[in-house]
Amino acid sequence: MRRDSGIGIRDSAVCPSEVLARIADLELVARIVVEGLVSGLHRSPFHGYSAEFSQYRHYRPGDDLKYVDWKLVARTDRLYTKQFRETTNMAATLVLDTSASMSFPKAVSKYRYAMILSAALAHIVSSQGDAVGLVAGSRMIPARAGRHNLRALLAALSGVEASGQWNAAETVRRAGERLNRRGLLLVLSDFYDEEDATFNELKRAARMGHEVVLFQMMSREEVEFPYRRDFEFADLETGRTVSVNAGLARREYTDAVAAFLERCRRRAGAEGFQYSLIVTDTPPAHGLRNFLLARQR
Amino acid sequence: MIWLNPAAWIGLLAIAGPIVIHILVQRKAERLAFPSLRFLQQGRLASIRRHLLEDVTLLAIRAAIVVAAVAALAGPLIVTRTQRQAWNARVVRAIVVADVARAALQPPVFLSQTFEAPAVADAIPRAVAWLENAPPARRELLIVGPLALGSVSADDLAVIPPGIGIRFGPSGGLPAERSIAGGRVLGMERDPSALREPQGRPEDTRGAAGSGSARALSKAEGLSRADGSGSIVVQQQVTLKDIQTSVQETGAAAPEAFPVDVICSIDARPIVDTAIAAARSQRVWAPAANRRGRLVLLDPSIDPSAVADGGPVTESWIADAVAAIARDRDLQAAGAQTPAGLSDPRFSAMPWQPLLLTPDGRPVAVAAASRASLVLVSSAPPSSLVTPLLLRAMVNALGGPPDLRQAEVLPIPESQLRAWSRPPASVTAPPVDRVERDDRRGLWVLVIALLALETWVRRAKDEEKTSTYEEDERVA
Repeated sequence: MRRDSGIGIRDSAVCPSEVLARIADLELVARIVVEGLVSGLHRSPFHGYSAEFSQYRHYRPGDDLKYVDWKLVARTDRLYTKQFRETTNMAATLVLDTSASMSFPKAVSKYRYAMILSAALAHIVSSQGDAVGLVAGSRMIPARAGRHNLRALLAALSGVEASGQWNAAETVRRAGERLNRRGLLLVLSDFYDEEDATFNELKRAARMGHEVVLFQMMSREEVEFPYRRDFEFADLETGRTVSVNAGLARREYTDAVAAFLERCRRRAGAEGFQYSLIVTDTPPAHGLRNFLLARQR
Repeated sequence: MIWLNPAAWIGLLAIAGPIVIHILVQRKAERLAFPSLRFLQQGRLASIRRHLLEDVTLLAIRAAIVVAAVAALAGPLIVTRTQRQAWNARVVRAIVVADVARAALQPPVFLSQTFEAPAVADAIPRAVAWLENAPPARRELLIVGPLALGSVSADDLAVIPPGIGIRFGPSGGLPAERSIAGGRVLGMERDPSALREPQGRPEDTRGAAGSGSARALSKAEGLSRADGSGSIVVQQQVTLKDIQTSVQETGAAAPEAFPVDVICSIDARPIVDTAIAAARSQRVWAPAANRRGRLVLLDPSIDPSAVADGGPVTESWIADAVAAIARDRDLQAAGAQTPAGLSDPRFSAMPWQPLLLTPDGRPVAVAAASRASLVLVSSAPPSSLVTPLLLRAMVNALGGPPDLRQAEVLPIPESQLRAWSRPPASVTAPPVDRVERDDRRGLWVLVIALLALETWVRRAKDEEKTSTYEEDERVA
């Protein structure tokens, strides 16, 4: 289901999640997402980096005129453009939920969607010269700047699969502690596991000075529960089964899920976390753009 | 409502089929991996059993199909007032005729069949059987013919069920003459008069026949019987024409046992045999085989048990026979000359009835009944005239002349015909196997309609299920 975000992105310029999910190259996926996204942004959503003057070079058509050194033009009567050496002052760490519950649904799983979103975020952060790291299951990529680190991060992302259970609180704690200075903690999870403990660790990370951003990953099926027949539902993490008539259980389920999502949103707002509910049937660019626009504000 | 084939209702057991199928064919819940069960209530587990209730409509339709089909097979017949009036408006007529040409003149009815037979009585049962198998209608039996006396009797009409009307259609002239079977006569072959026309008074005929049954006898007594040699049975044929009556003896048959057993002393047996032969020679009427008598010629040597079984007369034919014997004038005259009567006082009291009396009033012969036979005890000597007269009177009383009154060539009186006539009864309970058309057609139409409805409902449900499955499969 494609939904307009309401911020002026044309759907034709956004690649659907189903198409993105079929592209194996995560870097390519990240580029596609970001290129479709940044054209609508006028300034960087991430603040905290600075640029140091490096050298002049001859002006070439298309260069931004704000970088033209007009004083030098006046002295030499030639157009020179200033070049800067970027310096990094922000580190971002992506925390990815690798529990089995993220492997739902089969078509475009929440985990695959989170991978794409993580790759896009890493691409954006890295392209701005900031450091970006990853904590996904047992894999950990320290937050560093540079293309090499980005590629290592994307490779690590590709090598992790959603399975088993996930110690959310412990993972958040490790990610927060690995950030040396005040940084950005980007958590992508459905937050089914250890809700209180996870939020406690997130609060702890916030007290350490990190900015916490939550992406709650949900599938449309989880939100709306569009089943009607008799099903034996098996928990992806525990294997426990419950036999219900989905049509009869739907109202109670959707009410419970709505209450859960609202609770997560309120807790995040109360702690000053940036919260985004990502439904996996929307193009990743939509959710990402909404998130970035919210940061700009 | 009448069910023509009520046994078909046993087919209602077939309702168990759809019910069992609906119970057994419950879809198994499909297994679906889901991220978390924290929002699914375990209490909804029982709701999966509500699946059976979801198909109640389909089950009800299928059960209704079975019920309608079984009801159709049971053959419903709704007897409405109009239907009954239609049945009562038509007549099924069986015509028993002796005159075919006149039978064709009868007005047409819904259904008619003609039955011919030499005797009307022979055709009536066949006509009744045909009427009972006829379609629902008022039924009547029409007897057409000259309707001469004796051609139809009350016994013939008694076999007709009360619901069948009876009507008579006199037609054709009475026959000029009429021949009927007369009585049978016991005679002697040597008797030249045996094949001659018998006398008008059979009791005056002469003949003898042998006795057939035997009983244990003491040495002092014997059972007198004739050996039957020379005896014959002659069948008479009586022809009535105008005021003349002629009798022809059609032939001689094998000798029959003499219908009277005579118990006497051994010494008297030859005399008694002579008396029997004398009675045969008198050409007496041959009684029916089940009418027999016993004559005990009392003698001191006779076992008293021979008369011990005498009892009151209860059979009408025995009473008639006793009366006929008592009216025999020859016997009465001979008995009046008998000097000694029965001295045993038990013969002067019931159940013994005196037949002959001595001048001094003592009984010479008495009668009683014994095991559906006539018993006579006589004190007259075997050699007296009373003995052969008693034998003749007994045989004639047991047989008797045929009743020729019903053989007269006269029509049955109109009053009698009116008494026998009756209108056909209205149709109340039609014969279920003879109804031309029942109301099962409507039920079969209902079955077809229900089948169509079942198909429509089933397809609608299948489509709904398919869309649900597809939707569930897609989201799964």
